[in-house]
Order: sequence, then structure tokens, then C-alpha cells
Amino acid sequence: MNCGYGEKLALYFYGEAAPALRAEVEGHMKDCADCRAELAALARVSAALPAPEGPGPAVLAAVMAAARAARRGVVFGWREALLSGALASVLAGVFAFSGPARTELAWNSGLDSGLDSVEYSVYQAQDELSASAGDWDYRYSELEDESSNAAENA
Amino acid sequence: MPEELTDAQLVAAFKGGDAEALGLLMERHKGPLYGYLLRLTGRADAADDLFQEVFLKLVRNPGSYSEKEKFAAWLFTVARNAAMDRFRREGARAEVPLEGDGEKPGPADFTASPEPGPAAAAENAELASRIERALAALSEDQREIFYLRHYSGLSFKEIAEMLGLPIGTVLARMSRAGEKLRKILGPGAQ
Repeated sequence: MNCGYGEKLALYFYGEAAPALRAEVEGHMKDCADCRAELAALARVSAALPAPEGPGPAVLAAVMAAARAARRGVVFGWREALLSGALASVLAGVFAFSGPARTELAWNSGLDSGLDSVEYSVYQAQDELSASAGDWDYRYSELEDESSNAAENA
Repeated sequence: MPEELTDAQLVAAFKGGDAEALGLLMERHKGPLYGYLLRLTGRADAADDLFQEVFLKLVRNPGSYSEKEKFAAWLFTVARNAAMDRFRREGARAEVPLEGDGEKPGPADFTASPEPGPAAAAENAELASRIERALAALSEDQREIFYLRHYSGLSFKEIAEMLGLPIGTVLARMSRAGEKLRKILGPGAQ
């Protein structure tokens, strides 16, 4: 096609031509059989390429399973943050109320045992969090395997 | 979750913990994305794998998409890159016969017949085959632009940005694609 309207025709066909360009192309096509044929070819090919429904349900289900598992991890993260904040507050409270006896902290067996108690609670909570995180990692790995298997069998 | 939310809003909802928002995103984009992947690979099983890979990327790394960019641009960029990686791993794009290889469908199986009715079945099949041959005759660059424009709904300018090309190059490739289709399909395309 030697008329030089190929690129303008592409913009026109896909609805990207501004009104002035649209009018120009339409005016040109009245006298250019090649451009009319090209427009028709583009229309015919485009009509022959409909967007399919999409992949099979197994593929969509695998993605959603992974998405739900991942979002549970986001919720878990919030709980972890709240628990950390709560424990930090407890520790802060212990030191805030130590008052004038601050200089005797190291020698105050009562406060010391109280701190041990708090420390122990922190370790316990950390263990529980680690165990839960491990469970989540394990479950996520399981889901990844399930996704791979589902995709292979789809 | 109302469907009138934008893509960016759905992604933000997903990032905030709403897994079902991803389902709505997939529902909205699954047809065009899958169609594009099917055209690139010529195989339903490969298109399935790549489709899953694209959305799992969002699941595993939600930060990879920024709400400032158009979601379709991100989606088709990731899809294209995933397809290119696959082709590199497989050595080359697999040559799939137009009519498939007996077990798996080929590209021609996904070409719509323009006119319904058993009486025109042979004519429809012949036209579909001509269209597939016409598309196969395009260069890879031309075919890439054609499929991207057809399936993604992105403008030529957005496609140019996505591919890192000047818009003039993108339009020139599209123009040559159109010219080739016209020559191969001939006046009968009208």
C-alpha cells in the first residue's frame, strides 16, 4: 500500500483516531481500495479471534487457594504485631512503676523474679508464634504443591 | 465486594487482606489474558500454566504492582515476560500445527467461524484456515503488536511504553501487519 495511510488506518480501526484524523481517514478511504480492503481484513481477523472464556476451573481454583492462604498470612502478621505491642507495653509498665527503687533494681529479688516471669511469658509467646509460623509455611508449601498438581492434571 | 471497583481498587483490597478481590480481578481479565496466552503459545496447557503463573506472581508479591500504573499493562507485561521465559527454557516456540497435533488443540481450533450453519461449515473452516495462515505469515514483531492490541485493550501508546519502543515503531509494525493481512486474505475478506 503506497498511500501512506497504514498507521493512520491502524489508529482509526482501533478507535484511537481523534475526530479530525477520523474524518481524514474516512475521506481518504472513499478513493483508496487498498485501505478499504485492509480495514475489512482487520475486521475479519479480529472477529475471528474472540476472547475465550478463560482457563479451566482447576487453574482458577488453584490461584484462589493460594490467594486465600496468602491473605491469612497478612491477618496473622497483624496478630503478631498486636501481641508484640502488648508485651512491649507490659515490659514498659514494669519499668515505669519501679519508681524510687530504680537504683535497687538489680538487687530487688522481687522485681527480678517478676521480670523473669515476664521474660518467660515472652519466650513462651515467641515459641507459639514460631510454631504457628512454621505451620503456616508448611501449609503454604502444601498449597503450592497442590497448585502444581492441579495445573498438571488440568 | 461491588464489581464496579476499579482494577487498582481491587488490587488494593487484595493487598489489604481481601482474597476474593483477586477473584474479581481474574474474572474481569481472564478471557483476554487467556486468549493472548493461547495465541502466543498455541497450546491450552501452556496457556493454563502461564495464566496461573501471572496471577500467582501477584499473590506472592503484591508489591510488584503499583496502583499508579494501569493494571492491564502490568498484567500483559508479566504475561509476555513469562511467555518469553518459557520459550527460552524450551529452546524455541513449539511448532504446533494449525489444526493441533491430535491430542492438543492448535491455534485454528480457537478461531471463531464467522457464519453459523452446517451448510457453510466447509466455507467457514476454509476461511478460518486462511486467517490462521495470514496470522502465521506475519513476522513475530508484527504478530506481537497485533495480539497485544487485540487482546489487551491497551492503546498503541501504552503498548509502546510496555515494550520500551517508540510509538512510531509500534504503529509501523501494526501497519505492516495490516498490509500483509490484506494481501493474504485478498478482496474476499470484504
